[in-house]
Amino acid sequence: MNDMTRPDANTIDPPLDFPAYQSTHLRHPKQPLVAIPARLLDVPGPTVPRGFVKSGDNDLTAQGKGLPLGERMVLTGRMLDADGRPIRRALIEVWQTNASGRYMHPGDQHDAPLDPNFPGIGRTFTDDEGRYRFLTIRPGAYPWQNHPYAWRPAHIHFSLLGNAPVQRLVTQMYFPGDPMLDLDPVFHGVPDAAARARMVCKLALDTGIEGVATGYSFDIVLGGAQSTPLGI
Amino acid sequence: MKAQRNPSQTIGPFFHVGLEWKDGGRVTFAEKGQRVVLVGRIADGAGQPVGDAMVETWQLSPDGRTPAPGTGSGHPHGMGRVQTSADGSFRIETLMPGGEAPHLEVTFFARGLLRGLHTRVYLAPEERVRADPALASIARSPRLRTLVAKPAGKDEYHWEVRLQGEGETVFFAV
Repeated sequence: MNDMTRPDANTIDPPLDFPAYQSTHLRHPKQPLVAIPARLLDVPGPTVPRGFVKSGDNDLTAQGKGLPLGERMVLTGRMLDADGRPIRRALIEVWQTNASGRYMHPGDQHDAPLDPNFPGIGRTFTDDEGRYRFLTIRPGAYPWQNHPYAWRPAHIHFSLLGNAPVQRLVTQMYFPGDPMLDLDPVFHGVPDAAARARMVCKLALDTGIEGVATGYSFDIVLGGAQSTPLGI
Repeated sequence: MKAQRNPSQTIGPFFHVGLEWKDGGRVTFAEKGQRVVLVGRIADGAGQPVGDAMVETWQLSPDGRTPAPGTGSGHPHGMGRVQTSADGSFRIETLMPGGEAPHLEVTFFARGLLRGLHTRVYLAPEERVRADPALASIARSPRLRTLVAKPAGKDEYHWEVRLQGEGETVFFAV
């Protein structure tokens, strides 16, 4: 087991076959996953050029002609490896619904209004301390087809490249105190309560903008400590 | 004490808004090399196309090294990112990776996948793939063939991916 890149996968990550989330039914492999040597992926990975992120890409409230509707919020946090070291200059990509719970995506048929001032897309790099910051609006919950009366709790999607292939992670961030969390099979796909709690941000009003925006904090820990370069 | 990492969650059906990269299917390098095109198609356990997946590739440069960082406002060198079409197909234009058994590391993300699925596609004859020490545990398995793309015309390779069922692709524990 020590040879696997993520020996903790079965306690931290959701299973691929999770009947409560119906879409897993025909998409999960039935054969066991095959181990490959950890060293193959715990090495430096894709390096995103600085110019890939433009100034202002971390402000999701400034992408239209006016302000989007909804509760403006500052989201800050740090990206760390398993040893608590900052993961530096790593790309974070986020996407989310608007305040009404609708994605600006042609496939989203939720009968809720689009907000022309809110495409719901953001990008940033972590800084040399692993910190990041977004200004956005709080997303809305939305219904989905998993079963009758199914709603997804409000969430922000995160895509993280880290510094190595083993650190690649796609995940979601949820909001504290949301009663829909208890009913959500995607959230509950994660078997361990402590691991689920790590997907929930914390209210941190003093990190917001006084009189303008609330503040939430959300730290992210990625795997593969071996590969976090100290020199960059 | 080791910090515990964040869990994986599904990418969902609406990732395109945030993750689509312009020309993400044209992989760039600092070096020159032999152009190759990988055309893949993903099917689910019922044989139906998986038309809402994101496919990411990562590979060595043509001279067999870790690709240099990307430049300007472009993508990282050596990395491809595309979405599948309604018929489950995707296309990556890249350069032939270096090494004894040239291959691309491939990760699939999709609605219904609570974790990304990691695999490899080899652009090399089967006997060289079987000799790759990384695949020692499946070196004699017929399933290894699911990782070998078929040459199809000049500089093009075809690869059928099956998430579940007959001919299920080998996926790795990462």
